[in-house]
Amino acid sequence: MKLLEKMEERCIQCNACESVCSKAYFKTDDRTKSRIVINDDASATRDWTINVCNQCGECIAACSEEAIYRNKQGVVMIDAKKCVGCYVCVGFCPTLSMRTHDDELVPFKCVACGLCAKECPTEAIYIESK
Amino acid sequence: MTQHISPERIQEIKAARQVLKTYKYSPAAVDKGYTNKTLYINISDNTIAEKEITEEIKDKFIGGKGFGLWYLWNAVNKDTKWNDPENEIVISPGPIGGITQYPGAGKSLVVSLSPTTDSVVDSNVGGHFGPLLKFSGWDVLELQGKSEEEIIIYINGNEGAISIEKAPLEELNSHILAEELTALYADDEEDKRNISVVSSGAAAEHAMIGLLNFSFYDKRRGGQRLKQAGRGGIGTVFRHKKVKAIVIKYKGVRGDSNHPADLKKIQELGVKLHKEIHDYDDIQTRKRQVGTANLVEIMNDYDLLPVNNFKYGYNPETWRISSDILKTYVTQNVPDGCWYGCSLACAKACDNFELKTGPYKGHKVLVDGAEYETVAGVGSCCGIFDMDYVFECNFYCDTYGLDTISWGTTVAFLMECYENDIINKDITGGLELVFGNRDAAMELLHQVAKGEGFGKYAGLGVKKLKKRFVAEYGADKDFLEAIGMECKGMEYSQYMSKESLAQQGGYALTNKGPQHDEAWVIFTDMVNNLIPTFEDKAEALHYFPMFRTWFGLQGLCKLPWNDIEPADNKQTDEPAKVPEHVQNYVELYNSVTGKNIDKEELIRQSERVYNFQRVFALKLGFGTREFDKPPYRSLGPATKEEYFSRQDRYDQQLKEKMGIDPEGKSVEEKIALHRQYREQQFEELTDAVYKRRGWTKSGVPTIEHLQALGMDYPEVIELVKPYQ
Amino acid sequence: MIQLNNRRETYDEGMTVSSLIKKKRYTHPMLIVRVNGQFIEEEMYAETPINDGDDVKIIHPIAGG
Repeated sequence: MKLLEKMEERCIQCNACESVCSKAYFKTDDRTKSRIVINDDASATRDWTINVCNQCGECIAACSEEAIYRNKQGVVMIDAKKCVGCYVCVGFCPTLSMRTHDDELVPFKCVACGLCAKECPTEAIYIESK
Repeated sequence: MTQHISPERIQEIKAARQVLKTYKYSPAAVDKGYTNKTLYINISDNTIAEKEITEEIKDKFIGGKGFGLWYLWNAVNKDTKWNDPENEIVISPGPIGGITQYPGAGKSLVVSLSPTTDSVVDSNVGGHFGPLLKFSGWDVLELQGKSEEEIIIYINGNEGAISIEKAPLEELNSHILAEELTALYADDEEDKRNISVVSSGAAAEHAMIGLLNFSFYDKRRGGQRLKQAGRGGIGTVFRHKKVKAIVIKYKGVRGDSNHPADLKKIQELGVKLHKEIHDYDDIQTRKRQVGTANLVEIMNDYDLLPVNNFKYGYNPETWRISSDILKTYVTQNVPDGCWYGCSLACAKACDNFELKTGPYKGHKVLVDGAEYETVAGVGSCCGIFDMDYVFECNFYCDTYGLDTISWGTTVAFLMECYENDIINKDITGGLELVFGNRDAAMELLHQVAKGEGFGKYAGLGVKKLKKRFVAEYGADKDFLEAIGMECKGMEYSQYMSKESLAQQGGYALTNKGPQHDEAWVIFTDMVNNLIPTFEDKAEALHYFPMFRTWFGLQGLCKLPWNDIEPADNKQTDEPAKVPEHVQNYVELYNSVTGKNIDKEELIRQSERVYNFQRVFALKLGFGTREFDKPPYRSLGPATKEEYFSRQDRYDQQLKEKMGIDPEGKSVEEKIALHRQYREQQFEELTDAVYKRRGWTKSGVPTIEHLQALGMDYPEVIELVKPYQ
Repeated sequence: MIQLNNRRETYDEGMTVSSLIKKKRYTHPMLIVRVNGQFIEEEMYAETPINDGDDVKIIHPIAGG
């Protein structure tokens, strides 16, 4: 199974990963459209720094339309053509890593492409195959 | 799996079709939950026409059941009967119906004149038909007339094409018919999800308690699922009109198909509820695991599960039909919603159930359910504690087109009549209809479908059977009136109301009949003791029926309101109302329609339609106090065996509530004292409820109340005037 | 005697919220318990004693079915 792993203590909250991700998939530098989320809220007490899909696959079982599936690399994928935008997967994600945006009817999530890992200056995120 | 229909069979069916009428239209776009169009079809002369829905009608009747009542009101007069061609079957989903983000948003409401109550009836059903109807351009489908030959109506919402076709070869029974028609109209396997079929079955031709099945295609199970518009015999009307099926096809359901005013808000509300269900359903009502059947053992524990025609509320054998046993039948942990996005997923099903009896004996079929009402109705109420039987009976009732609630209550009534020698083997054709005799009960069901033997009468329902037994066999009328569990001609749904005065009203002081979808206040009243006075009970019997009517205006399911609760609901002022979810509904409505209502206006929306329905019943010769009178068994112990089963409780009530010493009194005397007291209590409750609802002592809305609601249409005022 | 939902109920020696729920066969999964007005968390049912004369509310917040 291929997934994006993280070592949160290394993260310096530079947000480079979010920028890369949104540019790659939505052609815009907009962190609200990133599939990885960095918590850089300095005011709040922080119990997490990086939120990203761990490819556990609970959303596959939650989807009535069989629009979510695991590909050959073990990555959980969404078939946008089958999605009816019900967002059950969003509410049922144990790590709250299924993302949504006002502009999009279909949710989106990390597909372990590794583009962000290449940009990460501290190697806080990296692709691993299990 | 289900029977797979061969391509040859499909070709054969197609070849026998004859197109009677075609109609082309430009599908109206959905705007803020409405298309503003009604599709009118008359199958007497094959007229197909469009009607505009005005803002006035939307404001007053909202949608769903409201629209159904309005169109039927205009279609019939005071003398119209259920089997007249003028009677209609009106199907409408409501403005919120069809959104995919919030659980329970795919309901259709069906309105017609009922063969069992002879008055106006409404029934609420899942499946995909309603939302697909709307996305095909129609807020309402209004079906009138009567065909001379068997027909099918087909609506293609993408092409804007409607046809009425002669359909001689299709099977009648729904599990096969829905599969045939889905296969016939789908371009390929992938396309099956875009089709929904409305149909009934063979028994609906020989019974008054026929139902409508609304199908959807279950991709995981590879078969058609059937959800039921069960109450009030609308399937009987459907078959009387010689309609085999109404089929709709619409491809392209998306998250914004309902074109709401504020999609983002709906998505937020949806995700919040999905998360609640994800986090708490396992420790609350376990809908995702067992559907509604968790209630079986709970009702048994609280002495509220109907046993032997509502004589008793408990039986030690109930574990055999409990949710733990049901769990071993249903396929587990799959998202069993009946419309997209329903994460509460109560619509359980059993794959590959092998039938032991009847025309499909040996077939392995998909059974939808079993739901609580079915388990209790055909199971415990008939003294049958056997889950195999429950599933088999559930399957056959659905495919034959019979309402499991009415069928269960009717069979239980027949069993009690049999045990009291009112009917016997000569009358039943050899069937030994004693409580617990599952083989006799199953045989009787098959006889109804064939229209043979005692089956010619068994499906008439309790009210008509009572009349028949008095007229034909000289049965004791008073006894039958006391034990026959119907009110207004509708059979009771499956809760014991004897020890809850408020629920006695919750059942009897209803518009369509004793179906708990208006009010379920047993715990609040009997256990919690939170509504001790008549005024308290009346308030509950105002608020809850109005609140719950609202689901039927919108195309919503009631379950996500209170079968899942937010973590902090316990700390709120009125936990039984689930205030956070009420607010969700206010916001959902506003987000879909772009309007700005609050929770008070929500209740007023319902009040308009509720009072209109009451006056509609009046128009048809019902809708007054005498028709709200319940059978005595719903109020208290009607027989000695019932009294003995709760003797301590009843003796104590004599002392504490009536100030009478039970010592030395015969059981007959004690039953009579209870009856006098309980019937008096019910009358006082009725007075209080009518007053709270803005009705006269005879149960008719006052002119002032109708004016205040803006429902003072001239014809309405004319009708209520003599009762002021 | 105790008061349970404003009705008289027999007091048993050593009574707790748990034992009262069991005795009354209150098997519904969503109960709201207050003893003398004090809200009791579900985890505390077994450890919360009920004393003679207490005013107990065990509310079933359900208007469903």
